[in-house]
Amino acid sequence: MTTSDTHSSYVAAPGCTRPAGVDPATHHDVATWLTWEAQLLDERRLREWLSLLADDIRYRMPVTVTTARGTDARPEGAMDHFDEDRYSLGKRVERLEGDHAWTEDPPSRARRFVSNVRVAPIDGTDDVEVRSYVLLYRSRGDDRPADLVSAGRTDVLRRVEGGWLLARRDIVIDEAVLRTQNLALFL
Amino acid sequence: MKLAEVIANVDAGRIPASIYSDPDVFALERERLFSRTWQFLAHDSEIPNVGDFVVRRIVDDSFIVSRGENSEIHVVLNMCRHKGMQICRAEAGNASHFRCPYHAWTYRNDGRLVGVPFHQEAYGGDGGFDKVAHPLLSPPHVASYRGLVFANLDPAAVPLDEALGDLRFFLDLYLHQSDAGVELRGPQRWRVRCNWKIGAENFAGDSYHTPHTHASVVDIGLFREPTASKRKEGALYFAGGGGGTTYKIPPGDFDHAIAHVGYPPEMAGRMRAAWTPEQQALVGEAGFMVSAATAFPNLSFVHNWPRIRAGDDVVPFISIRLWQPVSATETECLSWFAVDRNAPPAFKADSYKAYLMCFGTSGMFEQDDVENWTSITNVSRGALGSTVLLDSTMGMDRERAGTATRPAAWPAPGEAYVGYGEYNQRALLRMWARALEREDAERERRTVPLRVAAASS
Repeated sequence: MTTSDTHSSYVAAPGCTRPAGVDPATHHDVATWLTWEAQLLDERRLREWLSLLADDIRYRMPVTVTTARGTDARPEGAMDHFDEDRYSLGKRVERLEGDHAWTEDPPSRARRFVSNVRVAPIDGTDDVEVRSYVLLYRSRGDDRPADLVSAGRTDVLRRVEGGWLLARRDIVIDEAVLRTQNLALFL
Repeated sequence: MKLAEVIANVDAGRIPASIYSDPDVFALERERLFSRTWQFLAHDSEIPNVGDFVVRRIVDDSFIVSRGENSEIHVVLNMCRHKGMQICRAEAGNASHFRCPYHAWTYRNDGRLVGVPFHQEAYGGDGGFDKVAHPLLSPPHVASYRGLVFANLDPAAVPLDEALGDLRFFLDLYLHQSDAGVELRGPQRWRVRCNWKIGAENFAGDSYHTPHTHASVVDIGLFREPTASKRKEGALYFAGGGGGTTYKIPPGDFDHAIAHVGYPPEMAGRMRAAWTPEQQALVGEAGFMVSAATAFPNLSFVHNWPRIRAGDDVVPFISIRLWQPVSATETECLSWFAVDRNAPPAFKADSYKAYLMCFGTSGMFEQDDVENWTSITNVSRGALGSTVLLDSTMGMDRERAGTATRPAAWPAPGEAYVGYGEYNQRALLRMWARALEREDAERERRTVPLRVAAASS
């Protein structure tokens, strides 16, 4: 595959249009960024994670509702699990860094498996739209069954001097009823 | 432990740990508590349009709550009369009819059976099988209060208004901030490995846990109130079908009290118009603002006022919580955000933000509670742990001697106390004990077919 192939939409098969991509170097850079971000979250280096976020970030996870096929439009005013800005994410991190956030003391052992990374250019900017899957494995305490949380993410990464900032993250969580006891962890 | 022994201990403020995990206790709760008490299903704002529906449960029974063609509300058991298939497998949507995926029996959303394939060939038509006689089943009683739709599976149930009783005085402070009432967003749903009663007790009256469990939210300046001194100045009350906690607000008139927790002046004006002089006096002159509450057995409410951005301003939010039992050791939490329909759009947005930061799946208050409750449930399963009598006697000696501190002024119904005390948890568990010791003699067939089960509002 040539670089130019990845720059534009093309028909991969009759009736199936593959969206535009980016050059392999950019793809690699973005995928590496996502892996790095997952490491910071897994290691609870949350202050460093905050430094990856744009000041105007919107971080959102709508509640998934089981609906009949073809009626999955999300109504206006539907519920979210998260709808965060820089301030509220900062408060969440500040809390988890303190001595009284019992829910994460002892901390969960968490690993975020990030895959299926797709990167698309955003016209007229140097920013990219990044889609990825994330599978969170969360083990708490010594003898409880571990939790698995599966989600898809659509991010906007903003190109800045020396790297990328996360400007927007929309998380689609696959469970309608969460089986993990809370969302004290970020996806 | 025998039931009589459990109940004697509960009445004495000694709580057998086993009630938080014993499957036999849960089996009895299913039969005698959840099948006899008013169970919250949905709020009418969740199904605003004709045909809108949500699917909700009472323990293991699934019900469809829908808005019929004349805007009336129907509650029907989500179970085909033919082979018992669940006819609606979505959580929410809009439909005039539900068709069973098994043999295509089709029902209107009011429960009427309108379609049976090959009705003539298979059954010989209405002579052989009368469709009219086979609607979806409805619970014996459906009623609503301030838009909250409840069902009761007990044909001999007391009316909802009677069951809630004087608790309605306090519920109105959450649900009736104007004549338009509240609108809901949600629910968030998640399962926690804890017994359902622990959350219900906590919301009913555990002001004692706030300074420690929720220390982190004070540390970060999210909430200015739950310091130890603030919490013990609040009044605890128990009235009719439940009880709750309040915070003491600095002295001032009604408008100051409402402004103190962050409501804009136009909302204060509507509250003044909607609330009785006694309700206004509780908040204004007496200076008590409602916080958490539980309507027996498993519906809770919360009202808090955190900071949602830098600065000193606070923004209040209201949340409704159902502790839906799954088993003795697992609970499904359903958590809604509620706000007055007439509130300004900017206030609604800020209040929603305040809710998300504090309660529900990601809420910074909530996270630490659940960690405690799952641990209690787990520990109570032990061979030794299950035999332990937990102490719930705080304030009991003062309560019995009649020396418990009462608020200087209490222009509201019910029993009210100032300072720490497990009055409300005991009161809630006494109601629980009364429900469990009631024999089955007066039980009748629970579910009777009703063509239309319209909720009165």
